[in-house]
Amino acid sequence: MPGTIRSVSLVWVVLLVCLSSRRTSVGAAPICTNGQVGCHVLSLDNLFDRVIQHSARMHGISSDLHSEFEQYFLPSKNQIGRVGRICHTSTIITPNGKENAQRMAREQLTEVILKLLIAWRDPLWHFHQSISHHHDFNNFSSNKALEMNDMVHELRQGVEKVAEKMQVLGIISNSVTSLASPDVLLPSDSADWRLMKDYDLLYCFRRDSNKVQNFLKILKCRIVPDHGC
Amino acid sequence: MMKSVMEVLLLLMLFFTAHAKEKSYSPPEKTTQTRCRSPEKETFTCWWEPGSDGGLPTTYALYYRKENSETVYECPDYHTAGENSCFFNKNDTSIWVNYNISVVATNALGRAFSDPVDIDVVYIVEPNPPEKLTVVVMEDKGWPFLLVSWEPPHKADTRSGWITLIYELRVRLEEEEDDWEMHHAGQQKMFNIFSLRSGGEYLVEVRCKPDHGFWSEWSSTSYVKVPDYFHREKSMWILVAVFSALIFLILTWLLHMNSHSLKHCILPPVPGPKIKGFDNKLLKNGNSDEIFSALVVPNFPPASASKYEEMLVEYLEVYVPEEPELMLEESKDLLDGCLKSENSRSDSDSGRGSCNSHTLLMDKCGETKEEERQTNRESSLMETQGWKEEAINHDTSGKVKTWPSVYSPLPQYGSNPLDKQSSLETAKQHSLSTSSFLIQPGTKDALGPSYTDFCLSNKENHLHPQTLAHRALQTRSDVNISNIGCKRSPATEYVEVQRVNKEDMVLLQPVVSRCGHIEGCPNLPKGEDYSKLKGVDCDNRLLLQREGTGEDVCPCVDQETNREGGNCYTSSTVSTTQKPTACMYTAMPLQEETALSLNGYVDTATMGNLPSC
Repeated sequence: MPGTIRSVSLVWVVLLVCLSSRRTSVGAAPICTNGQVGCHVLSLDNLFDRVIQHSARMHGISSDLHSEFEQYFLPSKNQIGRVGRICHTSTIITPNGKENAQRMAREQLTEVILKLLIAWRDPLWHFHQSISHHHDFNNFSSNKALEMNDMVHELRQGVEKVAEKMQVLGIISNSVTSLASPDVLLPSDSADWRLMKDYDLLYCFRRDSNKVQNFLKILKCRIVPDHGC
Repeated sequence: MMKSVMEVLLLLMLFFTAHAKEKSYSPPEKTTQTRCRSPEKETFTCWWEPGSDGGLPTTYALYYRKENSETVYECPDYHTAGENSCFFNKNDTSIWVNYNISVVATNALGRAFSDPVDIDVVYIVEPNPPEKLTVVVMEDKGWPFLLVSWEPPHKADTRSGWITLIYELRVRLEEEEDDWEMHHAGQQKMFNIFSLRSGGEYLVEVRCKPDHGFWSEWSSTSYVKVPDYFHREKSMWILVAVFSALIFLILTWLLHMNSHSLKHCILPPVPGPKIKGFDNKLLKNGNSDEIFSALVVPNFPPASASKYEEMLVEYLEVYVPEEPELMLEESKDLLDGCLKSENSRSDSDSGRGSCNSHTLLMDKCGETKEEERQTNRESSLMETQGWKEEAINHDTSGKVKTWPSVYSPLPQYGSNPLDKQSSLETAKQHSLSTSSFLIQPGTKDALGPSYTDFCLSNKENHLHPQTLAHRALQTRSDVNISNIGCKRSPATEYVEVQRVNKEDMVLLQPVVSRCGHIEGCPNLPKGEDYSKLKGVDCDNRLLLQREGTGEDVCPCVDQETNREGGNCYTSSTVSTTQKPTACMYTAMPLQEETALSLNGYVDTATMGNLPSC
């Protein structure tokens, strides 16, 4: 009896070791910034894939939530659509087409991505608060809002890591100002979003998240073109 | 004048006709189903369905207004995408910008505005189908598979990352209509399809979709014929099937063979009632009356005692056989004394308790035997005991013939078929012997050391000393023995010890001169119990003399006489104890092999003869 228990526990230990090793190697390998011993150095294309996946997921959530909002506001949809939506991020000059985007420098593109993400840091938090206090929305929507809020933060950190990596590798210059002082990038009229309705806010975020995703893809395919482009 | 009137009328008619003709025309209806599509997220095209044109030539114009702009633009290109469409080239296409589009139908009579459509090019992307679809039959370790590869639509710029496409393909056998098998390929541009049917012709199609858009049309169908490889597969399957069927058959056969034992092992049967005359079937039927009636043996509680006895007899038949055997063996050897005493007891009608139970008798006899064996070993040292044994042996051998008669009075042995025969015989003998047995009432008190010595061979007497007095000697067997002895040695005229019964009684048959003359027998009942050794004649013959007095011949006496040297005939007088057993010893001079032979009185030839009797 003790023998079997011992063997079973041994099996468990082995399984746990295998799982943890897999997790560390595949899932959550720390990014080595200072060259610590034991950390796994991720390649740039791997980093890009991660942030692209993250942005895609974020955009997916925003699209789902937007669809819910459209259903909710369906009777007055046309009216809403006619209202001139001015996103608070519209002041951030972003390429409006492929050629413009391709024309942009890597540094600029990186900066645009970071600007967008920073710009949505506070609005999403308030959006979540508004949704959670809104009785017309269920917990599902509220959780999605919170999830979006978290993902924006995570994605910004991820993009910063990628930017640092690119700077380290000499791919981009050190002129990305958002890395040094993110708050500087905030537009002067950054408080405009407070005047926006929830639906408009969500509409804008959906677009911006798609922008971020697309810019990241463009950036990736420009820098590491052989990986999935 | 008339001419002018005619012209006016004509004009009027013309006017009216013209007016009537104009009245049938109407302003155009608004266009419907305005839809836009971007194949590559760089350009996009919008189409509309024209409504009624109102009978007049109608022109359609598309106007759009970009988000955050008050400027309304007209469609830059009505021709590229065909009729009733507007193509937006790259320059006119902005991403992440809302286009507010409406189509205006205009004819001579008026215009109609369609419902405005808000579009974002990002979300209206529907790429062209993938191109260059190729399907190749490959083989991996003998198994074929389809390698499907394709190219993204040439317009979609996937290389730059501007658009990302995911692919889906569907496969079906040619004969199976509308039975498509879907496969999701993700972002990769090739796919392997396994599990093909041998010799089947497959149809493969691919389509693509941007991450946030619509699926493209299915690509052109690609046909592929899978070569025949099924025979290999089939043969293997046949082998497997045959083998498994064989195993199955063997297993079922084994199960069938062992089914009974298995059932017996798993579910042992409840043991049925083992009652004689009990019918299990009746029990199963549940008819209790019949069961009990079956159990009842007719006339079971015997009505009369006679039946009881019969049953007892039956019982004895089952269990007795071994015991008589034992009795036979042991008593044949040495237990004559016991048997004799029984016999005599029955004659005297007293001392029943001594040998009442045959088991007790057995024990006593067994003990006697043991002791006598012991004395047999010591015979060289203790001659008297030797004699005694010899005498007993001798008696026994003489009595073998008649021992069953002992049991004749006992009812339980009477049923023994062996004994039944002999019982008649013994009865006769018994009647003969009654006259010759000896009763020694006076010796009861005088059971001295010699008595105990003697009783080594007869424990029974120890246990029941009071019965000793009633012990009698049977003379009938003496007669037999004497007769036998005489027949064998007619010339010698020895005095023969007829038998030694209990310690109290000695049966002597002195043969004075010739055989056939029995002296001792008639004398004994008269009280002349004690025979005296009269002397040894010249022929080395022992001469015994009966006396009416209590002269005893003790076993010890003989020894004493031997030690005294030669005076064996006088030694008998030494014994003062009034013991009948003395007679016995004196009656057995023939067997004093060691003692008497020294003196030369005893004829060794007769010594050999007597045991044979």
